[in-house]
Amino acid sequence: MTSLPRREFLYGLGSSLGALALTDALAKDVIADGVAGKGPLSPKPPMHPAKAKAVIMLFMEGGPSHIDTFDPKPELTRLHVTESKRTKGLATGKRFYVGSPFKSRKVGQSGIEMCDQFVHMADAEVADELCVYRGCQAESLNHPEALLHMNTGSRLGGDPAFGAWSTYGLGSVNQNLPGYVVMTELALPQAGSTNWSNGFLPAYFQGTRLRPEGSPILDLEPPKHRSRAHQRRALDALAALNQDHLQRHPEHSDLAARMESYELAYRMQTAVPDIIDLKSEPQHVRDMYGLERKETSAFGRQCLMARRLVQEGVRFVQIFSGGWDSHDYLERGHGSRINSVDQPIAALIKDLKRCGMLDDTLVVWTGEFGRTPDNNHRGGVTALGRGHNVDAMNMWFAGGGVKKGTTVGATDEIGAEAVECVHPIRDVHVTLMHLLGLDDNKLTYFHGGRYKQLSQFGGEVIKEIIA
Amino acid sequence: MSNTYLVTSDRQDRSTADSTPPNLNRSVTRQDEKVTTETRSHACFTAAFRIAGLVFVGATVAIGNGQLPAEESTVPSEVKLTEAEANRLFTLRVQPLLNSKCLGCHGDTADDIKGDYDVTSRKALLAGGESEEASVLPGDPDESPLMWAIKWESMEMPPKENDRLTETEIQYFSDWITAGAPWPSTEVQAEIRHAESQVRENEDGILISTSGGLADEWTYRRYQPNEIWAFVPLADKFQFDSIDGFIGQQIDEANLSAAPMATPAELLRRATFDLTGLPPTPQESKAFNQAWQQDADSAWTGLIDRLLASPHYGERWGQHWLDVVRYADTGGFSNDFERSNAWRYRDYVVRSLNEDKPYNDFVVEQIAGDEAAPGDPEGLISTGFLRMGAWGTAMVPQEEARQLFVDDVVHSVGQSFLSMPMRCCKCHDHKFDPIPTQDYYRMYATFAATQAGEMPAEFLEEENRNGFEANEKMVDALFDYAEVRRAKLVAKREAAAKAWYDERGLEYKPLNARKNDADDAKPERHCGLTEEDQGRLKVREQDVKIWKRRKERFQALAQSVFNGQDLFKNAMKLRQPPKVNANWVPESFIYTGGDYTAKGNPVTPGVLSGTGVSVPGAPSDDPYALPTTQAGRRLAMAKWIVNPDNPLTARSIVNRIWQYHFGQGIVRTANNFGVKGSQPTHVELLDWMARDFMDGGWRMKRLHKLIMTSDAYRRSTQHDDLAAIETVDPDNKLLARFLPRRLTAEEVRDSLLAASGELNRELGGLPCNPEINMEVALQPRMIQFSLAPAYLPSPSRQGRNRRSIYAYRVRGQADPFLEVMNKPNPNDSCEFRDAAAVSPQAFTLLNSDVTSDRSIALATRLQKLSDDSQRQINAAFRLLLGRRATKQETESLTAYIKEMTEYHTQSPAIKIAYPTEITRSLVEEFTGKPFEYTEWLPVFENYESDLKPSDVDAATRAIADMCLLLINTNEFVYVY
Repeated sequence: MTSLPRREFLYGLGSSLGALALTDALAKDVIADGVAGKGPLSPKPPMHPAKAKAVIMLFMEGGPSHIDTFDPKPELTRLHVTESKRTKGLATGKRFYVGSPFKSRKVGQSGIEMCDQFVHMADAEVADELCVYRGCQAESLNHPEALLHMNTGSRLGGDPAFGAWSTYGLGSVNQNLPGYVVMTELALPQAGSTNWSNGFLPAYFQGTRLRPEGSPILDLEPPKHRSRAHQRRALDALAALNQDHLQRHPEHSDLAARMESYELAYRMQTAVPDIIDLKSEPQHVRDMYGLERKETSAFGRQCLMARRLVQEGVRFVQIFSGGWDSHDYLERGHGSRINSVDQPIAALIKDLKRCGMLDDTLVVWTGEFGRTPDNNHRGGVTALGRGHNVDAMNMWFAGGGVKKGTTVGATDEIGAEAVECVHPIRDVHVTLMHLLGLDDNKLTYFHGGRYKQLSQFGGEVIKEIIA
Repeated sequence: MSNTYLVTSDRQDRSTADSTPPNLNRSVTRQDEKVTTETRSHACFTAAFRIAGLVFVGATVAIGNGQLPAEESTVPSEVKLTEAEANRLFTLRVQPLLNSKCLGCHGDTADDIKGDYDVTSRKALLAGGESEEASVLPGDPDESPLMWAIKWESMEMPPKENDRLTETEIQYFSDWITAGAPWPSTEVQAEIRHAESQVRENEDGILISTSGGLADEWTYRRYQPNEIWAFVPLADKFQFDSIDGFIGQQIDEANLSAAPMATPAELLRRATFDLTGLPPTPQESKAFNQAWQQDADSAWTGLIDRLLASPHYGERWGQHWLDVVRYADTGGFSNDFERSNAWRYRDYVVRSLNEDKPYNDFVVEQIAGDEAAPGDPEGLISTGFLRMGAWGTAMVPQEEARQLFVDDVVHSVGQSFLSMPMRCCKCHDHKFDPIPTQDYYRMYATFAATQAGEMPAEFLEEENRNGFEANEKMVDALFDYAEVRRAKLVAKREAAAKAWYDERGLEYKPLNARKNDADDAKPERHCGLTEEDQGRLKVREQDVKIWKRRKERFQALAQSVFNGQDLFKNAMKLRQPPKVNANWVPESFIYTGGDYTAKGNPVTPGVLSGTGVSVPGAPSDDPYALPTTQAGRRLAMAKWIVNPDNPLTARSIVNRIWQYHFGQGIVRTANNFGVKGSQPTHVELLDWMARDFMDGGWRMKRLHKLIMTSDAYRRSTQHDDLAAIETVDPDNKLLARFLPRRLTAEEVRDSLLAASGELNRELGGLPCNPEINMEVALQPRMIQFSLAPAYLPSPSRQGRNRRSIYAYRVRGQADPFLEVMNKPNPNDSCEFRDAAAVSPQAFTLLNSDVTSDRSIALATRLQKLSDDSQRQINAAFRLLLGRRATKQETESLTAYIKEMTEYHTQSPAIKIAYPTEITRSLVEEFTGKPFEYTEWLPVFENYESDLKPSDVDAATRAIADMCLLLINTNEFVYVY
């Protein structure tokens, strides 16, 4: 039987680890050479030369307003609170235009436009890395469907997430950590874990959520009264029972893999706490991410963890930051949201550069759709906010082979609709996959009667974005 | 037979094509397309025409017996086509390729022709593009730039990999250019096509007559007979008259031997899990062993009869069906509204299976129970099937929401009952299967008067209504809690409003009355409320709605449908309007490109014409038409589905049943019998069983018994010659041995409860709430405008520890234990469970409260049985693994328990407390600022906790540790 050496190896690992306390570094190598080389998450070569090896996706949930972030519309300031005749989307009743409460300015050498609420990102060292894209159009007007569309390519839910497709296509470098890591606020975004689901792909490719409070991964640690030594002892006893059973069932090829999954779990028990323990980071780095500021500490921690995860070989990291759904009180709503992400994002870009990682790490900042230039009366009051807009939005990319210091595409003069370099979400997916060295048309999986792909029906690369 | 070939449809067939004799009537066999995870191009954009190796050139070498020539001929053929042949080649081969592969960019829109290259006429082709060089040199393919481009030697055309021409297709162009690149007139082309359409079967395959596609090219396309096997009528003459006859033949042909029979212990465990999802008890094992020793055969059939008669049979097999139909207790998307009475449909499924309801009745009831038996509550409950998809109306335009609902129903009916997913032909004629988009919209029209509704339906005697009172009391308390707080905040606001009016000497106006007043003529919207108050008010308002809705659980309503006109729908409350216009008849159209605003040709209700099964009583000029009255459309459709002549229905269910027994179907893609699904491994057997199934009155229990009494089902997973099996039949298609399977998520949980003695075996009723990971239970979850209330476990042990099929299923919040063990996401139909072993499963099974609690309960059960470690270990093995422990296992585990007792004496367990309220924090969407509020968790005020580690002593915890090991073994989670 070809599986015999592997079995012996596993048993050896299981029975000796407790006593010898093999270091994780060593275990990583051992695993890379041994079992994991054949695992479903073992690294796979890209389909064509890749510009980016990893992705950090910063998902601003709720629909950040392009008009009040990276796509200023002076014309709207002129039209402020005058009547709007727009009828698209779900526009009903009396409507009026809403000028941005924020001033905008051109920043950096590249002159990228950014509202004045972004202070840290306006630093040329950050701003000049960005490629702002204003041409994307979404389809679904409500959050969960739109979130699912941006994350899985389908608004219906049940398809694999972008991160799942990425790890399916490329595997992941570090076998002691999940290949696709998701961080959210305490509350899950709308549509919940369906946003990082493996869909119809095998479960290996699902996003693993690192929870912000409590156990970072559910049941990562045994209950308090059972120590790590206790766990090791249990695993060794379990390995012995499984080993006997394996000998009785040489015909069953799944057994060794399941035994290995327990050993991987044991290694993750140290690897995961190591990653999320930020004490080892120097104070100036912690300060840079805003860990000591109340407004930025939560998102800052996650951004810093994202860098550490990518550094450790995780393929795809996604951070959700909510609260962008400003139907009202736009100034306060977007003001506070921008304030909470501005410094951490700037720090992330600078830090990735400092570590020499930005060139092959693709940073994506997006929401699920944009916002309207006008608003309706809410509770009978002229509410200064914006509705959902599927015809216009903005997103930006940095690193990972994108054209830095540029703005691609444009919306009309009030920001109602994309008019230049207009592409549906699927083209954005195809483009990002392309940067990862994956061809969306080739990265397919048979399900539900056809070979499915992230873009659903194929799409085109948005060349203007690529360096 | 000198010219019979095996030709694959891949691009590798050039060598064969080059050297094939000029015989247009070759029989062409397509290799079984293996459906694997391998990377492949997206099917929707590969060639619409599946043409395998029709060749007009001939090499002069004759080849015998289908062997390839020793040396492949790469020299272009000398043989010239006649003019008629060349015209035919152009019309039937080249022209369609130009249209499907080139026209999109080179000619479809006159003002936007890429590279100025136009493929719409011979003249334009000869003229070439912007390079102004002729692209085609008649007679000389090698020098024709068009050939270089399609071979990807110069330019790469078509530019997408998955549109690329196959070798065979390239050869057509080459042959056509060799023949002088003729371009017959439109009339001649029409004649050629017409002549071809009169031939049912030719070298390209067979024609399937349908109601017609959007273009003649589609209507007259051809299929390989083996690809569209599912549309062909069932066979009625068979070589064998038993399952083992068919299976044995293929094993013999592959020169393999069949595995020996499994051991009685294996068979007992296999059958018991298979039919009930629970492990055999030690008593059942003992009884079975005794019976087996007396008479193995009758012990086996007796066992099957006993298990089929068990009420747990319906739970286990009902779960399979609920996977297919996507059962959940909520509606999904932004509000994830409770479908308060969905549980009645779940129980209907379990009940129907336990009653062994004929499958044809089961189908009719789920599609049209309300029409088949008007006034019968069961008929309304059963049509809950049509309501199983995730669906919401929030911020979705009404017409689009309506389309999403009907699309979902059409797809689900096709996929569940016919194994024919319908989403593929919503926007265009089916790329591969004989289903024109017209038939999609005829099926759509069938449901055009079907409206979602919560319908009054009296409770049935057989429905379990235990716990209604206690449950309702809890919901009332929660409702009151939210309502009191809501009212207080409203009163605070209105007091401030009143003060505002008083100050101005104006008369107070309530909120709704002042709504439309000018901004300066009314108080500020949130007057009197702090920002915290504003957020809290919204939360309480949502909670009031949620608990009010939850109370519907106790009302005699069914999640069902009614026939009626399209009206405004809000998924929060879907009641039948008091007045239904029975005269309203929907108008239906083909939605061009799937867009409901692009109405194309009108359609009337109808069935899938590609099956060739007409509708009794339909007009002779439209044999596939269903009634056009408002009522009765669905019933007629359902009857057509269960018409014994329908080639899909019986095959579909028989295959599903087979699949769950063997771990793989005769057709691997149980939801898809189309061209792109996988092909049957034993097509004759499938038909034989389908016939037998229908002849036997569509009874599923009869079929289970037929399958389980076969030798194939009783084989061991082991095999004497594993090497041969792995070489010849690595996927076990031939069933020379039985495949082990991992327990499903529900089986793992239910077995643990059964082993620990905690399982409450009560059938049906209100959803139960097991204790789930408390971090997840209490973690905030966004819904529109607010956070959803915390997940609250049922307060009593009995109430929680029921079978998993009864667990409350929220689309937006999965039970992490079941989810990690691969319970599928209910947004998509699951034809078969994934069993991938991922590390989070190890965390869950080793460290979760679920397994910890079960191991403690089991440990106390063992202690009650005996004080002796060895006996305890043995009992644990019997309960969890169905066998005695070996001597070695007993010794090492006795030592383990001893060691752990010492450990736990040193390491006391901490008592856990359940919170009776929690403080929530939420970012108010209007202000971007967080606010806090208190949520009450009344369940934990009188909570009957499971035994926890801190409730027992070190000795019990040590025995529990031993149990936990067994729970984690491979032996426990796999069935052999």
